[in-house]
Amino acid sequence: MGIWIAIGVAILILVIIPVVMYNSLVGKKNQVANVFGTIDAMLKKRYDLIPNLVATAQQYMEHERGTLTEITALRAKAIKPDLADDEKVAIDNRLRGMLGGIMVAVENYPQLKANENFLHLQRSLNEVEEQISAARRAYNASVTDYNNAVEMFPTNIMASMMAYKEKRLFEITDKERENVDVASLFKK
Amino acid sequence: MKNLDALRHFYQRDLLGELQRLEQQRLDVAKKLTLAIVVTLVLAGGVVLVFGRQFFANPMLLLFPVVVGVIIVAGLAKYFSRGYVSDFKSKIIARIVGFIDESLAYRADAHMSLAEFQGCRLFNRRPDRFRGDDWVGGKVDATTIEFSEIHAEYKTESRDSKGRRRTHWHTIFKGLFFRADFNKNFSGSTVVLPDTAERLFGGLGKWLQSVNFTRGDLIKLEDPDFEREFAVYGDDQVEARYILSTSLMRRILEFKQRTGKRIYLSFVRSCVYVAVPYTKDLFEPRLFRTLLDFEPIQEYFRDLQLAIGIVEDLNLNTRVWTKV
Repeated sequence: MGIWIAIGVAILILVIIPVVMYNSLVGKKNQVANVFGTIDAMLKKRYDLIPNLVATAQQYMEHERGTLTEITALRAKAIKPDLADDEKVAIDNRLRGMLGGIMVAVENYPQLKANENFLHLQRSLNEVEEQISAARRAYNASVTDYNNAVEMFPTNIMASMMAYKEKRLFEITDKERENVDVASLFKK
Repeated sequence: MKNLDALRHFYQRDLLGELQRLEQQRLDVAKKLTLAIVVTLVLAGGVVLVFGRQFFANPMLLLFPVVVGVIIVAGLAKYFSRGYVSDFKSKIIARIVGFIDESLAYRADAHMSLAEFQGCRLFNRRPDRFRGDDWVGGKVDATTIEFSEIHAEYKTESRDSKGRRRTHWHTIFKGLFFRADFNKNFSGSTVVLPDTAERLFGGLGKWLQSVNFTRGDLIKLEDPDFEREFAVYGDDQVEARYILSTSLMRRILEFKQRTGKRIYLSFVRSCVYVAVPYTKDLFEPRLFRTLLDFEPIQEYFRDLQLAIGIVEDLNLNTRVWTKV
Protein backbone atom coordinates (compact mmCIF):
# COMPACT_ATOMS: atom_id res chain seq x y z
CA MET A 1 0.00 0.00 0.00
CA GLY A 2 2.73 2.40 1.13
CA ILE A 3 4.67 1.99 -2.06
CA TRP A 4 1.66 2.96 -4.17
CA ILE A 5 1.23 6.18 -2.20
CA ALA A 6 4.92 6.98 -2.70
CA ILE A 7 4.64 6.39 -6.42
CA GLY A 8 1.48 8.49 -6.58
CA VAL A 9 3.19 11.40 -4.81
CA ALA A 10 6.24 11.12 -7.07
CA ILE A 11 4.07 11.27 -10.18
CA LEU A 12 2.15 14.23 -8.81
CA ILE A 13 5.41 16.10 -8.18
CA LEU A 14 6.67 15.24 -11.64
CA VAL A 15 3.50 16.74 -13.09
CA ILE A 16 3.33 19.80 -10.83
CA ILE A 17 6.91 21.01 -11.32
CA PRO A 18 6.69 21.36 -15.12
CA VAL A 19 3.30 23.06 -14.79
CA VAL A 20 4.71 25.63 -12.37
CA MET A 21 7.75 26.25 -14.58
CA TYR A 22 5.59 26.55 -17.69
CA ASN A 23 3.23 29.01 -16.06
CA SER A 24 5.98 31.16 -14.63
CA LEU A 25 7.68 31.40 -18.03
CA VAL A 26 4.43 32.38 -19.75
CA GLY A 27 3.77 34.92 -16.98
CA LYS A 28 7.19 36.50 -17.47
CA LYS A 29 6.79 36.65 -21.23
CA ASN A 30 3.42 38.35 -20.89
CA GLN A 31 4.82 40.79 -18.35
CA VAL A 32 7.41 41.87 -20.94
CA ALA A 33 4.70 42.35 -23.58
CA ASN A 34 2.56 44.24 -21.08
CA VAL A 35 5.28 46.71 -20.18
CA PHE A 36 6.17 47.18 -23.83
CA GLY A 37 2.55 48.15 -24.31
CA THR A 38 2.97 50.79 -21.60
CA ILE A 39 5.94 52.29 -23.41
CA ASP A 40 3.76 52.49 -26.51
CA ALA A 41 1.04 54.27 -24.56
CA MET A 42 3.53 56.78 -23.17
CA LEU A 43 5.02 57.40 -26.61
CA LYS A 44 1.53 58.07 -27.91
CA LYS A 45 1.04 60.59 -25.14
CA ARG A 46 4.15 62.37 -26.33
CA TYR A 47 3.00 62.31 -29.96
CA ASP A 48 -0.29 63.88 -28.88
CA LEU A 49 1.59 66.80 -27.41
CA ILE A 50 3.67 67.51 -30.49
CA PRO A 51 1.13 69.28 -32.78
CA ASN A 52 0.28 71.83 -30.09
CA LEU A 53 3.90 72.35 -29.23
CA VAL A 54 4.89 72.93 -32.84
CA ALA A 55 1.96 75.27 -33.42
CA THR A 56 2.89 77.42 -30.43
CA ALA A 57 6.63 77.39 -31.05
CA GLN A 58 6.29 78.26 -34.73
CA GLN A 59 4.88 81.69 -33.96
CA TYR A 60 8.11 82.71 -32.28
CA MET A 61 10.98 80.50 -33.43
CA GLU A 62 12.08 81.79 -36.82
CA HIS A 63 15.39 79.98 -37.09
CA GLU A 64 14.03 76.58 -36.13
CA ARG A 65 11.30 76.31 -38.75
CA GLY A 66 13.14 73.45 -40.49
CA THR A 67 13.49 71.41 -37.33
CA LEU A 68 9.84 71.96 -36.42
CA THR A 69 8.68 70.78 -39.83
CA GLU A 70 10.86 67.72 -39.47
CA ILE A 71 9.41 66.97 -36.04
CA THR A 72 5.90 67.12 -37.50
CA ALA A 73 6.91 64.76 -40.30
CA LEU A 74 8.50 62.29 -37.86
CA ARG A 75 5.40 62.34 -35.70
CA ALA A 76 3.22 61.53 -38.72
CA LYS A 77 5.49 58.56 -39.41
CA ALA A 78 5.46 57.42 -35.80
CA ILE A 79 1.71 57.16 -35.42
CA LYS A 80 1.28 54.86 -38.42
CA PRO A 81 -0.20 51.63 -37.08
CA ASP A 82 1.89 48.97 -38.87
CA LEU A 83 5.31 49.99 -37.59
CA ALA A 84 7.90 47.39 -36.59
CA ASP A 85 9.28 47.67 -33.05
CA ASP A 86 12.79 48.52 -34.27
CA GLU A 87 11.50 51.34 -36.44
CA LYS A 88 9.42 52.64 -33.57
CA VAL A 89 12.48 52.83 -31.37
CA ALA A 90 14.56 54.52 -34.07
CA ILE A 91 11.96 57.23 -34.72
CA ASP A 92 11.48 57.74 -31.00
CA ASN A 93 15.21 58.27 -30.54
CA ARG A 94 15.39 60.89 -33.29
CA LEU A 95 12.34 62.70 -32.04
CA ARG A 96 13.69 62.86 -28.54
CA GLY A 97 16.94 64.40 -29.71
CA MET A 98 15.14 67.04 -31.74
CA LEU A 99 12.69 67.94 -29.00
CA GLY A 100 15.58 68.26 -26.58
CA GLY A 101 17.24 70.65 -29.01
CA ILE A 102 14.11 72.77 -29.31
CA MET A 103 13.82 73.01 -25.54
CA VAL A 104 17.36 74.33 -25.31
CA ALA A 105 16.83 76.80 -28.17
CA VAL A 106 13.80 78.23 -26.35
CA GLU A 107 16.28 80.10 -24.16
CA ASN A 108 16.84 82.51 -27.09
CA TYR A 109 13.17 83.47 -27.25
CA PRO A 110 12.11 85.31 -24.12
CA GLN A 111 8.61 85.90 -25.50
CA LEU A 112 8.07 82.20 -26.04
CA LYS A 113 9.44 81.45 -22.58
CA ALA A 114 6.82 83.76 -21.12
CA ASN A 115 3.96 82.15 -23.03
CA GLU A 116 1.64 80.36 -20.55
CA ASN A 117 0.49 77.83 -23.08
CA PHE A 118 4.03 76.96 -24.03
CA LEU A 119 5.15 76.66 -20.42
CA HIS A 120 2.38 74.18 -19.79
CA LEU A 121 3.36 72.18 -22.85
CA GLN A 122 6.96 72.17 -21.73
CA ARG A 123 5.97 70.82 -18.32
CA SER A 124 3.80 68.15 -19.92
CA LEU A 125 6.63 67.15 -22.18
CA ASN A 126 9.03 66.87 -19.21
CA GLU A 127 6.49 64.68 -17.49
CA VAL A 128 6.02 62.42 -20.49
CA GLU A 129 9.78 62.07 -20.95
CA GLU A 130 10.11 61.03 -17.31
CA GLN A 131 7.26 58.54 -17.72
CA ILE A 132 8.79 57.11 -20.88
CA SER A 133 12.09 56.65 -19.11
CA ALA A 134 10.29 54.93 -16.21
CA ALA A 135 8.51 52.64 -18.64
CA ARG A 136 11.80 51.77 -20.33
CA ARG A 137 13.34 50.91 -16.97
CA ALA A 138 10.33 48.77 -16.12
CA TYR A 139 10.70 47.07 -19.51
CA ASN A 140 14.37 46.34 -18.87
CA ALA A 141 13.57 44.94 -15.43
CA SER A 142 10.94 42.57 -16.80
CA VAL A 143 13.20 41.53 -19.70
CA THR A 144 15.98 40.74 -17.20
CA ASP A 145 13.53 38.66 -15.19
CA TYR A 146 12.44 36.83 -18.32
CA ASN A 147 16.00 36.31 -19.60
CA ASN A 148 17.11 34.94 -16.23
CA ALA A 149 14.33 32.37 -16.39
CA VAL A 150 15.20 31.45 -19.98
CA GLU A 151 18.90 30.98 -19.22
CA MET A 152 18.93 29.57 -15.71
CA PHE A 153 18.60 25.95 -14.74
CA PRO A 154 16.08 24.26 -14.54
CA THR A 155 13.64 26.64 -16.29
CA ASN A 156 15.99 26.82 -19.30
CA ILE A 157 15.05 23.23 -20.25
CA MET A 158 11.39 24.11 -20.29
CA ALA A 159 12.13 27.38 -22.12
CA SER A 160 14.02 25.62 -24.91
CA MET A 161 11.14 23.17 -25.30
CA MET A 162 8.78 26.13 -25.62
CA ALA A 163 11.20 27.79 -28.08
CA TYR A 164 11.51 30.90 -25.87
CA LYS A 165 14.50 33.03 -26.77
CA GLU A 166 16.26 35.78 -24.89
CA LYS A 167 14.94 39.28 -25.48
CA ARG A 168 17.01 42.40 -25.97
CA LEU A 169 17.15 45.21 -23.44
CA PHE A 170 16.39 48.79 -24.34
CA GLU A 171 19.80 50.30 -24.80
CA ILE A 172 20.88 53.83 -25.39
CA THR A 173 22.29 54.19 -28.87
CA ASP A 174 25.86 55.41 -29.28
CA LYS A 175 24.54 58.60 -30.77
CA GLU A 176 22.47 59.30 -27.69
CA ARG A 177 25.41 58.73 -25.37
CA GLU A 178 27.09 61.79 -26.82
CA ASN A 179 25.96 65.14 -25.60
CA VAL A 180 23.27 66.65 -27.74
CA ASP A 181 24.94 68.95 -30.24
CA VAL A 182 22.35 71.67 -30.35
CA ALA A 183 24.17 73.92 -32.78
CA SER A 184 24.31 71.28 -35.51
CA LEU A 185 20.62 70.55 -35.03
CA PHE A 186 19.71 74.05 -36.11
CA LYS A 187 22.24 74.71 -38.83
CA LYS A 188 20.19 72.90 -41.42
CA MET B 1 19.96 75.63 5.00
CA LYS B 2 21.03 77.16 8.30
CA ASN B 3 24.40 76.07 9.64
CA LEU B 4 25.79 75.60 13.13
CA ASP B 5 27.44 79.02 13.29
CA ALA B 6 24.13 80.70 12.52
CA LEU B 7 22.52 78.59 15.22
CA ARG B 8 25.17 79.53 17.77
CA HIS B 9 24.64 83.19 16.98
CA PHE B 10 20.85 82.76 17.28
CA TYR B 11 21.31 80.92 20.58
CA GLN B 12 23.41 83.74 22.04
CA ARG B 13 21.17 86.53 20.81
CA ASP B 14 17.61 85.17 20.99
CA LEU B 15 17.47 82.08 23.18
CA LEU B 16 19.84 82.62 26.07
CA GLY B 17 17.71 85.18 27.91
CA GLU B 18 14.64 82.99 27.73
CA LEU B 19 16.64 79.91 28.68
CA GLN B 20 17.90 81.64 31.83
CA ARG B 21 14.31 82.34 32.91
CA LEU B 22 13.32 78.74 32.16
CA GLU B 23 16.36 77.45 34.02
CA GLN B 24 14.95 79.03 37.19
CA GLN B 25 11.64 77.25 36.57
CA ARG B 26 13.48 73.99 35.96
CA LEU B 27 15.36 74.27 39.26
CA ASP B 28 12.05 74.79 41.11
CA VAL B 29 10.47 71.75 39.49
CA ALA B 30 13.57 69.62 40.10
CA LYS B 31 13.63 70.68 43.78
CA LYS B 32 9.95 69.77 44.29
CA LEU B 33 10.40 66.48 42.52
CA THR B 34 13.52 65.54 44.51
CA LEU B 35 11.57 66.23 47.69
CA ALA B 36 8.69 64.08 46.44
CA ILE B 37 11.06 61.21 45.65
CA VAL B 38 12.67 61.39 49.10
CA VAL B 39 9.26 61.44 50.85
CA THR B 40 8.01 58.51 48.75
CA LEU B 41 11.16 56.51 49.50
CA VAL B 42 10.80 57.16 53.23
CA LEU B 43 7.13 56.17 53.18
CA ALA B 44 7.86 52.99 51.21
CA GLY B 45 10.70 52.17 53.61
CA GLY B 46 8.30 52.68 56.54
CA VAL B 47 5.73 50.31 55.03
CA VAL B 48 8.39 47.64 54.54
CA LEU B 49 9.59 48.05 58.14
CA VAL B 50 6.11 47.87 59.68
CA PHE B 51 5.02 44.84 57.67
CA GLY B 52 8.52 43.32 57.73
CA ARG B 53 7.37 39.83 58.66
CA GLN B 54 4.85 39.49 55.85
CA PHE B 55 7.40 40.66 53.29
CA PHE B 56 9.92 38.19 54.64
CA ALA B 57 7.40 35.36 54.25
CA ASN B 58 6.40 36.38 50.76
CA PRO B 59 9.09 38.46 49.00
CA MET B 60 6.83 38.93 45.95
CA LEU B 61 4.81 41.40 48.03
CA LEU B 62 7.82 43.77 47.92
CA LEU B 63 6.80 44.57 44.37
CA PHE B 64 3.72 46.32 45.69
CA PRO B 65 5.36 49.34 47.42
CA VAL B 66 7.83 49.65 44.55
CA VAL B 67 5.08 49.83 41.90
CA VAL B 68 2.95 52.24 43.92
CA GLY B 69 6.00 54.43 44.57
CA VAL B 70 6.93 54.57 40.88
CA ILE B 71 3.35 55.46 39.90
CA ILE B 72 3.19 58.26 42.49
CA VAL B 73 6.54 59.75 41.46
CA ALA B 74 5.69 59.56 37.73
CA GLY B 75 2.35 61.25 38.33
CA LEU B 76 3.95 64.00 40.42
CA ALA B 77 6.69 64.51 37.84
CA LYS B 78 4.07 65.07 35.16
CA TYR B 79 2.06 67.39 37.42
CA PHE B 80 5.00 69.52 38.56
CA SER B 81 6.60 69.89 35.15
CA ARG B 82 3.44 70.65 33.18
CA GLY B 83 3.80 74.41 33.09
CA TYR B 84 7.53 74.17 32.64
CA VAL B 85 7.28 71.82 29.64
CA SER B 86 4.64 73.89 27.86
CA ASP B 87 6.58 77.12 28.51
CA PHE B 88 9.71 75.53 27.19
CA LYS B 89 8.01 74.30 24.03
CA SER B 90 6.21 77.52 23.21
CA LYS B 91 9.27 79.65 23.87
CA ILE B 92 12.23 77.55 22.75
CA ILE B 93 11.10 74.86 20.29
CA ALA B 94 8.72 77.26 18.52
CA ARG B 95 11.57 79.73 18.07
CA ILE B 96 13.96 77.13 16.72
CA VAL B 97 11.31 76.10 14.18
CA GLY B 98 10.93 79.75 13.16
CA PHE B 99 14.70 80.08 12.92
CA ILE B 100 14.91 77.17 10.46
CA ASP B 101 12.02 78.43 8.33
CA GLU B 102 9.89 81.44 9.17
CA SER B 103 6.86 80.24 7.24
CA LEU B 104 6.43 77.13 9.38
CA ALA B 105 3.98 76.94 12.28
CA TYR B 106 4.51 74.94 15.48
CA ARG B 107 1.88 73.51 17.83
CA ALA B 108 3.16 71.68 20.90
CA ASP B 109 0.04 69.62 21.61
CA ALA B 110 -1.12 68.80 18.08
CA HIS B 111 -0.01 65.80 16.03
CA MET B 112 -0.46 64.11 12.65
CA SER B 113 -3.88 62.50 12.32
CA LEU B 114 -4.61 58.80 12.61
CA ALA B 115 -6.17 58.89 9.13
CA GLU B 116 -2.89 60.21 7.73
CA PHE B 117 -0.95 57.49 9.55
CA GLN B 118 -3.17 54.71 8.26
CA GLY B 119 -3.41 56.21 4.79
CA CYS B 120 0.36 56.10 4.30
CA ARG B 121 0.27 52.28 4.02
CA LEU B 122 3.62 51.86 5.74
CA PHE B 123 2.27 50.02 8.77
CA ASN B 124 -0.37 47.40 8.15
CA ARG B 125 -1.47 46.93 11.72
CA ARG B 126 -4.31 49.11 13.01
CA PRO B 127 -3.23 51.02 16.14
CA ASP B 128 -5.34 50.74 19.32
CA ARG B 129 -3.63 53.71 20.91
CA PHE B 130 -2.35 56.65 18.90
CA ARG B 131 -0.59 59.58 20.54
CA GLY B 132 1.78 62.33 19.55
CA ASP B 133 2.83 65.93 19.94
CA ASP B 134 5.11 68.63 18.52
CA TRP B 135 3.36 69.28 15.22
CA VAL B 136 5.11 71.45 12.62
CA GLY B 137 3.49 72.44 9.35
CA GLY B 138 3.52 74.97 6.54
CA LYS B 139 5.11 75.61 3.21
CA VAL B 140 8.79 75.35 2.34
CA ASP B 141 8.87 77.30 -0.95
CA ALA B 142 6.51 75.39 -3.22
CA THR B 143 6.15 72.32 -1.04
CA THR B 144 3.53 71.89 1.68
CA ILE B 145 4.82 69.81 4.59
CA GLU B 146 3.74 68.67 8.02
CA PHE B 147 5.25 66.37 10.60
CA SER B 148 5.05 65.49 14.26
CA GLU B 149 6.18 62.99 16.81
CA ILE B 150 3.95 59.91 16.80
CA HIS B 151 3.59 56.87 19.02
CA ALA B 152 1.27 54.18 17.64
CA GLU B 153 0.63 50.99 19.59
CA TYR B 154 -1.56 47.90 19.41
CA LYS B 155 -2.64 45.78 22.35
CA THR B 156 -2.81 42.09 23.04
CA GLU B 157 -4.48 40.40 25.97
CA SER B 158 -3.35 37.34 27.81
CA ARG B 159 -4.37 35.46 30.93
CA ASP B 160 -1.88 34.55 33.59
CA SER B 161 -1.88 31.32 35.63
CA LYS B 162 -4.51 32.70 38.00
CA GLY B 163 -6.85 33.59 35.17
CA ARG B 164 -6.36 37.35 35.50
CA ARG B 165 -6.53 39.27 32.29
CA ARG B 166 -3.46 41.30 31.29
CA THR B 167 -3.15 43.91 28.59
CA HIS B 168 0.18 44.31 26.79
CA TRP B 169 0.99 47.28 24.61
CA HIS B 170 3.31 46.85 21.62
CA THR B 171 4.79 49.67 19.61
CA ILE B 172 3.97 49.77 15.91
CA PHE B 173 5.89 52.97 15.33
CA LYS B 174 7.47 55.64 17.50
CA GLY B 175 9.33 58.58 16.07
CA LEU B 176 9.03 61.31 13.47
CA PHE B 177 6.22 61.02 10.98
CA PHE B 178 6.44 63.35 7.99
CA ARG B 179 4.22 64.15 5.01
CA ALA B 180 4.96 66.40 2.04
CA ASP B 181 3.25 67.17 -1.18
CA PHE B 182 5.27 65.35 -3.90
CA ASN B 183 6.37 67.15 -7.06
CA LYS B 184 4.88 64.63 -9.50
CA ASN B 185 1.29 63.48 -9.88
CA PHE B 186 0.50 59.81 -9.44
CA SER B 187 -2.50 57.70 -8.56
CA GLY B 188 -1.21 54.42 -7.14
CA SER B 189 0.85 53.68 -4.08
CA THR B 190 4.52 52.76 -3.73
CA VAL B 191 6.13 51.73 -0.46
CA VAL B 192 9.86 51.79 0.32
CA LEU B 193 10.81 49.69 3.36
CA PRO B 194 14.15 48.99 5.02
CA ASP B 195 15.39 45.72 3.60
CA THR B 196 16.18 43.12 6.20
CA ALA B 197 15.54 39.92 4.24
CA GLU B 198 17.90 40.67 1.40
CA ARG B 199 20.75 41.75 3.62
CA LEU B 200 20.46 38.62 5.75
CA PHE B 201 19.70 36.00 3.13
CA GLY B 202 20.87 37.50 -0.21
CA GLY B 203 19.14 35.97 -3.23
CA LEU B 204 16.88 33.84 -1.07
CA GLY B 205 15.77 37.03 0.68
CA LYS B 206 14.82 38.51 -2.64
CA TRP B 207 12.69 35.48 -3.36
CA LEU B 208 11.06 35.75 0.08
CA GLN B 209 10.23 39.40 -0.65
CA SER B 210 8.63 38.53 -3.96
CA VAL B 211 6.16 36.18 -2.27
CA ASN B 212 5.11 38.78 0.31
CA PHE B 213 1.43 39.02 -0.56
CA THR B 214 0.37 41.76 1.84
CA ARG B 215 2.31 44.49 0.07
CA GLY B 216 1.61 44.29 -3.66
CA ASP B 217 4.21 43.61 -6.35
CA LEU B 218 7.88 43.66 -5.53
CA ILE B 219 9.57 46.33 -7.64
CA LYS B 220 13.14 45.39 -8.55
CA LEU B 221 15.12 48.53 -9.20
CA GLU B 222 18.38 48.80 -11.05
CA ASP B 223 20.47 50.60 -8.43
CA PRO B 224 22.29 47.82 -6.53
CA ASP B 225 23.13 50.02 -3.51
CA PHE B 226 19.51 51.04 -3.20
CA GLU B 227 18.34 47.45 -3.54
CA ARG B 228 20.65 46.38 -0.72
CA GLU B 229 19.12 48.92 1.66
CA PHE B 230 15.46 48.94 0.65
CA ALA B 231 12.65 46.71 -0.55
CA VAL B 232 10.10 48.45 -2.76
CA TYR B 233 6.50 47.35 -3.25
CA GLY B 234 3.86 48.97 -5.41
CA ASP B 235 0.77 48.44 -7.44
CA ASP B 236 2.21 49.75 -10.70
CA GLN B 237 5.68 48.80 -11.99
CA VAL B 238 5.96 51.81 -14.29
CA GLU B 239 4.56 54.36 -11.85
CA ALA B 240 6.93 53.19 -9.12
CA ARG B 241 9.84 53.91 -11.45
CA TYR B 242 8.31 57.22 -12.48
CA ILE B 243 8.38 58.23 -8.81
CA LEU B 244 11.70 56.59 -7.92
CA SER B 245 13.82 58.12 -10.64
CA THR B 246 17.50 57.18 -10.60
CA SER B 247 18.36 60.50 -8.99
CA LEU B 248 15.69 60.16 -6.27
CA MET B 249 17.04 56.72 -5.37
CA ARG B 250 20.48 58.28 -4.88
CA ARG B 251 18.99 61.06 -2.76
CA ILE B 252 17.10 58.62 -0.54
CA LEU B 253 20.28 56.60 -0.05
CA GLU B 254 22.24 59.71 0.93
CA PHE B 255 19.47 60.76 3.31
CA LYS B 256 19.53 57.34 4.92
CA GLN B 257 23.30 57.37 5.30
CA ARG B 258 23.34 60.86 6.77
CA THR B 259 20.68 60.08 9.37
CA GLY B 260 22.09 56.64 10.13
CA LYS B 261 18.58 55.36 10.87
CA ARG B 262 16.13 52.89 9.37
CA ILE B 263 13.79 54.95 7.26
CA TYR B 264 10.38 54.14 5.79
CA LEU B 265 8.98 56.00 2.79
CA SER B 266 5.72 55.76 0.94
CA PHE B 267 4.23 57.55 -2.03
CA VAL B 268 0.44 57.69 -1.92
CA ARG B 269 -2.03 60.06 -3.63
CA SER B 270 0.71 62.41 -4.89
CA CYS B 271 2.19 62.77 -1.38
CA VAL B 272 5.38 61.42 0.11
CA TYR B 273 5.38 60.05 3.67
CA VAL B 274 8.59 59.53 5.62
CA ALA B 275 8.75 57.73 8.96
CA VAL B 276 11.97 57.85 11.00
CA PRO B 277 11.93 55.75 14.18
CA TYR B 278 13.36 57.21 17.38
CA THR B 279 13.67 55.57 20.78
CA LYS B 280 13.97 58.86 22.67
CA ASP B 281 11.14 61.34 23.20
CA LEU B 282 11.70 64.20 20.81
CA PHE B 283 11.71 67.91 21.67
CA GLU B 284 11.29 67.39 25.44
CA PRO B 285 13.18 69.65 27.89
CA ARG B 286 15.68 68.22 30.34
CA LEU B 287 14.73 68.17 33.99
CA PHE B 288 17.80 67.12 35.94
CA ARG B 289 20.47 68.80 33.84
CA THR B 290 21.01 72.45 33.03
CA LEU B 291 19.19 74.01 30.10
CA LEU B 292 21.89 76.54 29.45
CA ASP B 293 24.20 74.28 27.46
CA PHE B 294 24.38 74.72 23.71
CA GLU B 295 24.44 70.97 23.17
CA PRO B 296 20.72 70.17 23.78
CA ILE B 297 19.71 73.15 21.61
CA GLN B 298 21.88 71.70 18.89
CA GLU B 299 20.08 68.37 19.27
CA TYR B 300 16.60 69.93 18.93
CA PHE B 301 17.87 71.81 15.91
CA ARG B 302 19.29 68.66 14.34
CA ASP B 303 16.09 66.66 14.80
CA LEU B 304 13.93 69.47 13.39
CA GLN B 305 16.32 70.11 10.53
CA LEU B 306 16.28 66.43 9.62
CA ALA B 307 12.53 66.61 9.02
CA ILE B 308 12.36 70.06 7.42
CA GLY B 309 15.44 69.26 5.32
CA ILE B 310 13.64 66.35 3.63
CA VAL B 311 12.21 68.87 1.16
CA GLU B 312 15.69 69.77 0.03
CA ASP B 313 17.09 66.25 0.39
CA LEU B 314 14.45 64.77 -1.91
CA ASN B 315 14.49 67.82 -4.19
CA LEU B 316 10.75 68.38 -3.77
CA ASN B 317 10.91 72.04 -4.79
CA THR B 318 11.92 71.18 -8.34
CA ARG B 319 8.64 71.72 -10.13
CA VAL B 320 9.29 71.07 -13.79
CA TRP B 321 6.35 68.71 -14.23
CA THR B 322 2.65 69.58 -14.58
CA LYS B 323 2.18 69.67 -10.81
CA VAL B 324 2.91 73.16 -9.49
